[in-house]
Amino acid sequence: MSSPAAKSAPAQARNGALLDVDGVFKHFGGIQAVNGATFGIAPGSITALIGPNGAGKTTLFNVVTGFYKGDRGAVTFDGNSIFRHAPYEIAQRGMVRTFQITKSLAAMPVIDNMMLAAPDQPGERFMNLIVRPGAVRSRESEVREQSMELLEVFNLTQLANAYAGTLSGGQRKLLELARALMARPKLLLLDEPMAGINPTLGKRLLEHMQRLRKEQGVTFLFIEHDMEVVMNHSDRVVVMAEGAVIAEGEPHEVRGDQRVIDAYLGETQEDSTT
Amino acid sequence: MSVDPTSVAPLAVTFEALTEPAFWIGVGVIAGIYTLLALGLQVNVGFTGIVNFGQAAFMAVGAYAMAILTVKAEINFWLALPLAVLITIAFGLLVGLPALRLRADYFAIATIAMAEVVRIFAQNARGLTGGNQGISCAEDDPTLCYFNEWREASDWINDNLVFFWSDPEDLFPLLLVVWATAIAATFALTYFTNTPWGRVLRAVREDEDAAMALGKRTLRFKLQSLALSATLGAIGGFFFALNLAAVYPINFEPLVTFFAFSVLILGGLANYKGVAVGAILFWFVLEGTRFIDLPDPPFTETRIAALRLAITGLLLIGLMAFRPQGLFGKKEEMVLGE
Ligand SMILES: Nc1ncnc2c1ncn2[C@@H]1O[C@H](COP(=O)(O)OP(=O)(O)OP(=O)(O)O)[C@@H](O)[C@H]1O
Ligand SMILES: [Mg+2]
Repeated sequence: MSSPAAKSAPAQARNGALLDVDGVFKHFGGIQAVNGATFGIAPGSITALIGPNGAGKTTLFNVVTGFYKGDRGAVTFDGNSIFRHAPYEIAQRGMVRTFQITKSLAAMPVIDNMMLAAPDQPGERFMNLIVRPGAVRSRESEVREQSMELLEVFNLTQLANAYAGTLSGGQRKLLELARALMARPKLLLLDEPMAGINPTLGKRLLEHMQRLRKEQGVTFLFIEHDMEVVMNHSDRVVVMAEGAVIAEGEPHEVRGDQRVIDAYLGETQEDSTT
Repeated sequence: MSVDPTSVAPLAVTFEALTEPAFWIGVGVIAGIYTLLALGLQVNVGFTGIVNFGQAAFMAVGAYAMAILTVKAEINFWLALPLAVLITIAFGLLVGLPALRLRADYFAIATIAMAEVVRIFAQNARGLTGGNQGISCAEDDPTLCYFNEWREASDWINDNLVFFWSDPEDLFPLLLVVWATAIAATFALTYFTNTPWGRVLRAVREDEDAAMALGKRTLRFKLQSLALSATLGAIGGFFFALNLAAVYPINFEPLVTFFAFSVLILGGLANYKGVAVGAILFWFVLEGTRFIDLPDPPFTETRIAALRLAITGLLLIGLMAFRPQGLFGKKEEMVLGE
């Protein structure tokens, strides 16, 4: 049975939600990967998306960010429908995502990975290279400075000029996160950002998320399997199983939810909490 | 001719010709033209990650458009040049818009098909292109030829600019203009690639999804990349047509594109200065092997021609074994690109 929190939470979050996902479906052949998922993300929140392997979390990210075209449903971001819109357009609106399998631009230096993500670079328009070279250059030096500042936060300063492909798995994960932040998102969707990152750095990363939320009002939705991270660092938790949202609420509410225990947390979790 | 339809018509195939300046000027012209073609491929393959096997089609559209505009529509040659470039770009975008949505390998196949469609169309649309006879001068007015204005300009260059050579070869001005264009294109492309715009191109090459996730409208950048190679292909096509004094369908066989790819690989991916070096090396080896002087039986002319291609091929294979990244390519980028 779902807890009272799970029932009341959606309605509460969906009033003035930054991201609103309503009855989204996506199938692959005979597999119903996302099966009517419904939830909302309040602005300025840090929400964890959890659920067993194959629950459809990554697929939901892909549908929400436009990488997969959803079958039906509605997705509203910042008051605008973005369902089945192009990924670049959704990103430009301020919803930026990272990938479960890291996508570093391998044969490009770390600094170029970072600078690429900056919005409002007039130099990405071919004509401006000829007619506004000054504006391109000044934006470029601004962007370079911001990139270096962010690399500092993620302990990547030394590697600024290394090819991204030479970085370790964990470092690439950090780079991808730093790069996503360069895009100045309103909402950041992170697919297992902690996976493969050492705990000390992971903690730093989480602290940085908290700081960004406080200072810049960035909202976070992240997929995570580590329950300790979920419990201690998120304000809300959305639980998915078999393509649908089975519970939603504050971490402690969700942890006590029998359906969540059955579908995901299992007996060991229950033992450890008693 | 069965071996390389691309070789220069004015070139004599006799061995005495090898000591003549005209021969080497001809080789230089071809090397310059291939520099332009391969620069276009470099933008696509080396910097955007789109494998364009249809460079011959861009040449063909550019060359035919120029010849048809001047001879059939009687438009001034100097006006026809930019118009023909625009037509080639439009053609490139028309093909690219649907084809660039395909996966990379299917796109490559689609471009080969496109190039063959263009060539076979040129062979058969006799009213427009002259079919296999090609196009050169107006049927009702043999003095109205597409290269007339160029001949005048060429003579003017020889009379007024070539002060260091008392009796310059007819082809010499073409050599100068081709290489001036190739060098200018090399510098321009180097500049554009080192800008934020070029950075997006490279990001598309590395991982299109990652670029899209950062708000880049990747299709637009791929189309721009294709438009650039169409421009370079068209210009290469003009020079090809000026060199031959006629535009034939046989000039635009897929082999042209594959030779341009050889040049690209020789010079190295993802750098522009290697392209010219690769083109010079490729064509001087291919043409220079005409020096091979072997007793006629058993070495007939066709066998020697085949042997020359084999030698050039071996050279490429040897280079790939010792320098897989090409002369100027970066090995790290090649390995990381995997
Ligand atoms: N591109 C695809 N083609 C076919 N099936 C897919 C595709 N992507 C996902 N699926 C299927 O959809 C289901 C949900 O997969 P998804 O990757 O969304 O799970 P997940 O919740 O992210 O799991 P994990 O925690 O293991 O990352 C799985 O059964 C998977 O096989
Ligand atoms: Mg997943």
